[in-house]
Amino acid sequence: MLTAALPALALAAAVPFAGGAPAHAAGKPIAKVCGPKHHYVIGFSQVDFTEPYRQHVDNEMQQLVKKYPQFKLVIADGQASDNTQTSQVENFITQRVDMLFISPYESAPLTPVVSRAYKAGIPVVELDRKTLGKDYTTFVGGDNFQIAKQAGEYAAKTLLPQGGDIAILEGLPSSSPAIERLNGFKAGIAGNPKLKVVGVQPVDWMEDKAVTVFSAMLQAHPDIKLVYTSNDLAAAGAYIAAKGAGKLGQVKIIGTDGLPGPAGGIRAVAEGQWAATYVYPTGAAQALHIAKQVLIDCASSVAKTVTVPTQRVDPANAKGLYAKLKF
Amino acid sequence: MSEQLVHPAPGRAKRRNPLAYFVRFQSLIGLVLVLAGGVVFSPRRHGQILFLAPDNIGNIIRSISETGIIALGMTFVIISAGIDLSVGAILGLSSVLTASLMINAGWGIVPTLVAVLVAGTLFGTMQGAISTRFGLQPFIVTLAGLQAARGLALVASHDNFINISYGHGPGLAPPAFGVLGDRLFHNIFPVAALVFLALAVVAALVLNTTRFGRYIYAVGGNERAARLSGIPVARVKIAVYAITGLASAVAGIVHAGQFSFGSPNDGAGYELTAIAAVVIGGTDLFGGSGSMVGTIAGSIMLGALANILQLNDVSAAMQLLATGAIIVAAAALQSFVSRRDREALR
Repeated sequence: MLTAALPALALAAAVPFAGGAPAHAAGKPIAKVCGPKHHYVIGFSQVDFTEPYRQHVDNEMQQLVKKYPQFKLVIADGQASDNTQTSQVENFITQRVDMLFISPYESAPLTPVVSRAYKAGIPVVELDRKTLGKDYTTFVGGDNFQIAKQAGEYAAKTLLPQGGDIAILEGLPSSSPAIERLNGFKAGIAGNPKLKVVGVQPVDWMEDKAVTVFSAMLQAHPDIKLVYTSNDLAAAGAYIAAKGAGKLGQVKIIGTDGLPGPAGGIRAVAEGQWAATYVYPTGAAQALHIAKQVLIDCASSVAKTVTVPTQRVDPANAKGLYAKLKF
Repeated sequence: MSEQLVHPAPGRAKRRNPLAYFVRFQSLIGLVLVLAGGVVFSPRRHGQILFLAPDNIGNIIRSISETGIIALGMTFVIISAGIDLSVGAILGLSSVLTASLMINAGWGIVPTLVAVLVAGTLFGTMQGAISTRFGLQPFIVTLAGLQAARGLALVASHDNFINISYGHGPGLAPPAFGVLGDRLFHNIFPVAALVFLALAVVAALVLNTTRFGRYIYAVGGNERAARLSGIPVARVKIAVYAITGLASAVAGIVHAGQFSFGSPNDGAGYELTAIAAVVIGGTDLFGGSGSMVGTIAGSIMLGALANILQLNDVSAAMQLLATGAIIVAAAALQSFVSRRDREALR
């Protein structure tokens, strides 16, 4: 029965595409084809497959999508390249996927193609990183500014109330989380004037860059007491640099991501290597829920922003969390 | 296509002919095979072959437009028995300069384009001059050029990226520049792809119909003989690096226009894709033979292959493995035939 209905449905889906007008009018369902009886393809354009945080997101997505038998999830590897990721979104548009999930490698370069997908009537959920402008259905992500501000306040009030030199290792500056985390942390430490930021450098989310950059920072500023990093990988790199400089006891490390598993930040805090990290949830559950609302429940409007909450991982709760969470 | 200076012995000629024709058109045959594979394996939507959809073809050409433009320039250099590793870095420098001049310095489109094209050409010319004047290997000189161009890009961008927003007023770029990111003909064909196709025609004409083109084959085939025949070898060699500099600058402008973004990291790794396209196109890495049509076919083949695999949700790993296999196959075929050529002359 379903196979007989599919050609008719596909034909019905094609007609609005031929017209080209956006289909997000009030009262009408967001998706052109919706309802619990059909099968849907969700195309997920991921930044790359090699970063641990990205793998964590992909794993959670693949686990959670099993709860929705109508959904088929296709994850594409953007290989950390604007051109490759743009091509993949273009291919998803060609394949007329029912929904697009995307974590854009860089905000501005991916905006044109995401906008095209949105205007072609494909609902778009942006995960963790945003494009510019408003051409998307929902953004699911943590409030990077707030998470970083909490980290800054923890540093200012609890870790280093007596003040001192601190360093910041940023993410790739052209991606939205990096900018927000940098500004948030600076806002968080503003309450303690005895804290002095002696170095801010981008390490593009990468561990090897963090080792090189932080080693150089420790040479230039030997009294650094704390380093805030934009992701767990960079914190791991900072740890290696501090160890190499013989300053493990002196430098407190704060990471972001809070990845589970043996290579993640939760274990590093549990073992006393870092002072703290902040869990940045993947948002996979929330993104799939939006997909369910749009595609299965035929919703005519959904939330524009879904903020996923964070949690601080510190020596008090790290061991418990490490035992509980899986990569 | 190699120029035959000596005819083979009559008895051998017949055995060579079919293979020689195959090799001469190897890149076109390869392209046809890949396109056929694309049609056969293409997903279908109520009868329509997605691979052949006009916007999909447009997507394929758009995806290889920048590396393709660089590959056009690279063909000249490789046929002349040289190599240029700095092309990706010059693309990054050019995209940063484009963004910086329009956004930070408030220049108009024409002065910006002229400045960027001149800068790229000069950079290439300098590399060619250093290599010829001091007898240094182009590999080394352009490797150094790669580092220098990346460094200059970081300086020009103040270690950051530059967003290009359009409008009128300070800090905004002239809206007309945004056309590079647009699609024409009912929103189907990307302008970036059209730029590549137009330049491809020009490059093919220059290589195949001008005296300069013939000089390049001569210099690459046998530099000493070329010099003895009165060809200005040093000037030809410098000129081909000027061409790659110019091509990379054009690619950088297209990059900035397509993505509204100029970053010092743009174009990283593009030099290898460009060289792959040239080699797959049948050009001998040691110089003296090759064709622009081959490079164009090679570029499109790589883009089509990536597209087929992506449309079928095949992992990126397969794409990389397949590209590697095709490069080796093309080079082996090229080497096999040139060995047969040399045997025929004995």
